[in-house]
Amino acid sequence: MRVSRKYPAWVSVLFASTLLATALFASSANAAEDKPFAEHKVVLQISDNDPSKQTLVLNVAGNLLKSYGSDKVDVEIVAFGPGVRLMFDENVNKGRIGGLSTEGVRFAACGNTLTKMTQALGHEPALNPNAVKVGAGVVRILELTGQGYTLVKP
Amino acid sequence: MGNKVFKQAALAIVCTGGLMLGATAQAANWLMLQGTEPAGAAERAKLWGFVQVQYQKDFSDANPGPAGCAPGGSNCYVPPKLIGPNLDSQSAFNVNRARIGVRGSNFPLDSNTNYFLLLEMGNNGITAPGDSFVKATDASVTFSHIPGARVRAGLFKYPGAEEGLQAIHVFDYINFTKVTNEMLLERFPNKAYTADIPAQPLPTTTSLNGFENGVGAFRDVGIQVFDNFMVGPNMDWELSYALMVGNGNGLNFSDTNNNKDLYLYASAEKVFGGAGPRREGMKFWAWHQDGKRTADLTNDSTANPVEYDRERSGVGFKYLKKPYRFTAEYMTGEGMIFVGPNNPDFDFTNANQGVPTAANSGAYGEADGWYIEGGWYIPNTKWEIDARYDFYNRLKNTSRFEFERTRWTLGTQYHFNKKTRVAINYEINDDEAPGFASGTCGAACGPNNNLDGFDNRIAVQVTAIY
Repeated sequence: MRVSRKYPAWVSVLFASTLLATALFASSANAAEDKPFAEHKVVLQISDNDPSKQTLVLNVAGNLLKSYGSDKVDVEIVAFGPGVRLMFDENVNKGRIGGLSTEGVRFAACGNTLTKMTQALGHEPALNPNAVKVGAGVVRILELTGQGYTLVKP
Repeated sequence: MGNKVFKQAALAIVCTGGLMLGATAQAANWLMLQGTEPAGAAERAKLWGFVQVQYQKDFSDANPGPAGCAPGGSNCYVPPKLIGPNLDSQSAFNVNRARIGVRGSNFPLDSNTNYFLLLEMGNNGITAPGDSFVKATDASVTFSHIPGARVRAGLFKYPGAEEGLQAIHVFDYINFTKVTNEMLLERFPNKAYTADIPAQPLPTTTSLNGFENGVGAFRDVGIQVFDNFMVGPNMDWELSYALMVGNGNGLNFSDTNNNKDLYLYASAEKVFGGAGPRREGMKFWAWHQDGKRTADLTNDSTANPVEYDRERSGVGFKYLKKPYRFTAEYMTGEGMIFVGPNNPDFDFTNANQGVPTAANSGAYGEADGWYIEGGWYIPNTKWEIDARYDFYNRLKNTSRFEFERTRWTLGTQYHFNKKTRVAINYEINDDEAPGFASGTCGAACGPNNNLDGFDNRIAVQVTAIY
């Protein structure tokens, strides 16, 4: 027997809006809610062209997780300027980014930088699926520091 | 026949590898390490290079025989008894290599293009002939736009034997094996016939190196298609292939004839872990080279250049999982067999009176050789112990001028850090011309008069990579 339930249209709209808002909020607004038991909140900045900085910032993130435990520390890596190359899908550190992401580390790529890079390349660079495009990297850092995150630039 | 089998095997593996699909791996073999940059993480211009300073002492005796300095005369020396590249003493300090270069992704946002430039300023076979102060050993651009078919163009190491293809600054010995040094490290014919140079006394004012150009340094100018693929249930087998067409003229930027050299290479490696030059794994490879060389080898006043075939092939195996390392290679060659820097006409004794034939000239010569080597990285120390045995059968197709050259190399290395080390090698040589009587007996003993006094050598080398 087929059961058919009918809801008013506004319920569907409300449901969809809630999902969308939740997704946006979770990805960029107050990510700390992903880790309600976090005792430390850290935002790591990468804005250098130096490849060794890519390794370093990932090492720092890994060390924070190792020291405090993934539930007790909330880490977001924000890239802008030349540092955005870390967030490219082709980046050789893609595997490490995937590993850190499964432990709750978030990755944010500066939208302004990506726009400039798109102009320079002639096409938009493919972004790592674990990275989220934010409006401006530096603004994202200010948002996070305003929420009590400690800024570290390795 | 043998070369055809090598060629077919290498071609089959190349085609198979080229058709296979799989995720490309981060650079971790010589093709990838030298020809590509890490995607999304390369510098625009990374300055790098290395310096190697060495001391070598040879314990060979002067040639026996009657007084004077005719070939076979006393107090005279042949090249293997002297320290190269200058060949004018039996002991010498030398700045063997001093290289500086830049490499990277010229437009870092686009990982599909990268370049590699390296200059040599040391004193070796590259620079000594012609007294070059500096010489480019690498100048190439790689395009990685086509999945599975990267393209590299310019001057770079051609795909071939491991001993030649590997980065020299991580080479575990000071001198190449005899088969690699003589059969693979190419010496190019002079523009005109150049007579043999007899053994020289010490001190000497006559150079025993009669070649006008530097060695090929396992490099060529051309274009190469290559790539690697990770396959297997655990994606831990790396298949690599390379197909290259080049001038066949070494470090020289242009060609000397219209024929082009063909290079085929394929490898399969079970990757254990790590990255870079010291990545741990078990690798198998096969390669083949085919080309022609233009030379005027007839002893007359007429310019009559002839094109001679030159083919090289090989297979090999390497296992590296610390603390152990084991390598074995077998190589074979047909045509343009080098018979000594003092014999630039590719004829060992000039007995043919300037008419090269299959029976007496390296131009038509055949050779083969092999080596096995192993290393032990002493756990919890900075010391490494190395041992190598190599064999080279030169002009094996001739009845009188065949050489059988063997050598044991016992070595140790002390690694100050990851980029600085000192190596000490002791080489035990044993050479014989089986077509002649053994010992020192004048004409009846032929080359054995010289080889009888050919003795051991000690070498110390410091390497600093920056």
